[in-house]
Amino acid sequence: MTGVLSSPQPPETEAGVATAEDGVVLLDGPDGVAVTMTPAAARSTGESLIEAARRAEAQLAARRS
Amino acid sequence: MLTDRFLRDRRGVSLEAGERARLEAAISTTSTVESRKIIARAGEWLDQSTLLVEGIMSRYLDDRDGLRQLVAIHLPGDFVDLHAYPLKHLDHDVGTMTPATIAIVPHVELDAITEEMPELTRKLWFATLLDAAIHRAWLFRLGRLDAIGRVAHFFCETNVRLQSAGLSDGRQFTLGLTQADVAEICGLTTVHVNRVVRHLREEGLCTFRNGKVEILDAAKLARRGQFDPAYLYIDDPASPPPPDQRPRR
Repeated sequence: MTGVLSSPQPPETEAGVATAEDGVVLLDGPDGVAVTMTPAAARSTGESLIEAARRAEAQLAARRS
Repeated sequence: MLTDRFLRDRRGVSLEAGERARLEAAISTTSTVESRKIIARAGEWLDQSTLLVEGIMSRYLDDRDGLRQLVAIHLPGDFVDLHAYPLKHLDHDVGTMTPATIAIVPHVELDAITEEMPELTRKLWFATLLDAAIHRAWLFRLGRLDAIGRVAHFFCETNVRLQSAGLSDGRQFTLGLTQADVAEICGLTTVHVNRVVRHLREEGLCTFRNGKVEILDAAKLARRGQFDPAYLYIDDPASPPPPDQRPRR
């Protein structure tokens, strides 16, 4: 029996969910993401994500123009 | 008998009386081991393999900071390091998670079984391949599932494995592990596991208290953990194996 292998994993369209528990931040999903961070690491990750999202949006806009 | 749980209820590989007697005769010693003891270390030369009779054992790797990832959990009836027979040394440590009773099978006995009993040899090979199938499921669990899914998948898998060993009624079982152990199995922190366990309880899927797991909604728990027990090759009397998988004489 033969089949077709699917293409590599597409980017996730659903946001992960962050919660606070016992003084740490838990990030669940998307997919296999499940991490626990200190508040400082979570804040820094959040800022980094926002900045990366901004740059990715600029890349998409440049591609469309 | 010490080998009663070995390959119990596994598809097409139940041991014949003569095979079981031969395996029993291959055991050189049995011993009880305290909880949290190292049985074999990575790199150590091995000339024997360990059959777990009672208790829970693990295979694990530590990272450079000493943080541990459990890469396998072994339950009664498992041949914990049968793969050490051809490999002669392990690439990971092996230890007890709970008090355990172990039976030692010297590799010279496995040499003799390999020469004398090809069908029993095939069944030993099956046991090692079953370990590999479980490893694949653990890779899937860590690579694709979120925290709740990972823990749900682990509880579902352990339930089926213990049921096969006659140690779960399908609804509840004694696991003997802590939330910190589950964290090291599922690649999570203990605080994360603590929250997941609370979530599973609040959603009515299962409880995990004092080392005991009670499954409240098996179907829902399996769905949440994307768990399909096919990789455990449990015997289903209702569906006989295809001819090429029937035991050969």
